[in-house]
Amino acid sequence: MNPNFDLNDYIMHHVLNSHEWLLPFTAPVPLPGILTSHALMVFIACAFILMVFLVFYRKNERVPTGLTNCLEAVVMFIRDDVAIPNLGEKDGNQFTPMLCTIFFFILTLNLLGLIPIFPSATANINVTFSLAFLIFILLVFGTLARNGLKGIWKALIPATLPRWLIPFFIVVEIASIVVRSAALMIRLFANMIAGHMVIMSFLGLIIIFGWIAFPAFFLAVFMYCLEVFIALLQAYIFILLSAVFIGQMYHPEH
Amino acid sequence: MPPEIAQHLGQVSAGAGIGLSVVGMGLGVGLIFASAIQSVARQPEMAKQLTTLMYIGMALVEGMALLGVVFCYLALKG
Repeated sequence: MNPNFDLNDYIMHHVLNSHEWLLPFTAPVPLPGILTSHALMVFIACAFILMVFLVFYRKNERVPTGLTNCLEAVVMFIRDDVAIPNLGEKDGNQFTPMLCTIFFFILTLNLLGLIPIFPSATANINVTFSLAFLIFILLVFGTLARNGLKGIWKALIPATLPRWLIPFFIVVEIASIVVRSAALMIRLFANMIAGHMVIMSFLGLIIIFGWIAFPAFFLAVFMYCLEVFIALLQAYIFILLSAVFIGQMYHPEH
Repeated sequence: MPPEIAQHLGQVSAGAGIGLSVVGMGLGVGLIFASAIQSVARQPEMAKQLTTLMYIGMALVEGMALLGVVFCYLALKG
């Protein structure tokens, strides 16, 4: 038993944002200025994605091999199974680059967060808020720009609605737009932070109880493997739900 | 009520909240996967569409339940 160990503090220290970068075997590295560890992770992820797609992705190959083949399969999957069924042929092709960008960004952040020297930026509600706010802007202003005020009215109010119900529906539907994007934000944030908390709790058990708690190590490894799956699934779910929501606003039922 | 007891009661209820969220999440996700498996067993040609629907449903259920877990944890900490 280690009575001086504070499990709460240990978990929060690893999950929350800070102005220093925790590295193994050395003292924490202080970061300059307004840069925090999660902001640093966002920059690292951007640099990684740019490097992969500008340097290693060979666009001019006649027969794609290796990494090019792998990335092309993912992009094709997003276009054919996520964008086009939900948004239609024309809008689907237009939205594929945006959905791909969001997918690879979230996936890179999630997977980088699982490497022990990096903190997980998607476990910060500000990062997921900015991603979900992008979808919110598309839901409101994108629909306005595409279909005009009449289009957004059609998307919100069913044509056969009795007239006295319309004021209630306006309130409910505006709330539903906000709730949809807020749910996108909270889902990603909660999934990532919960996974890291569970892994850290299992590892904390070992620090508290010593050798008796050794089986908790295997539980932590199991959770880690589950987290790899969750990282993929959450990136997929995020773009799938954004495609579904955007499709509902852009193509209202008649 | 003395403040110590109130604090302990708060911790107990936050812990119970975590447990209840997980019970709800388990029930919901279990129901979704069970019906998806049944539907695929009856109509294997629908498997692709059903997988997408299954993941949407799972994400909707799981997201809210995990929100409960995280907020209960923050309440436990505070």
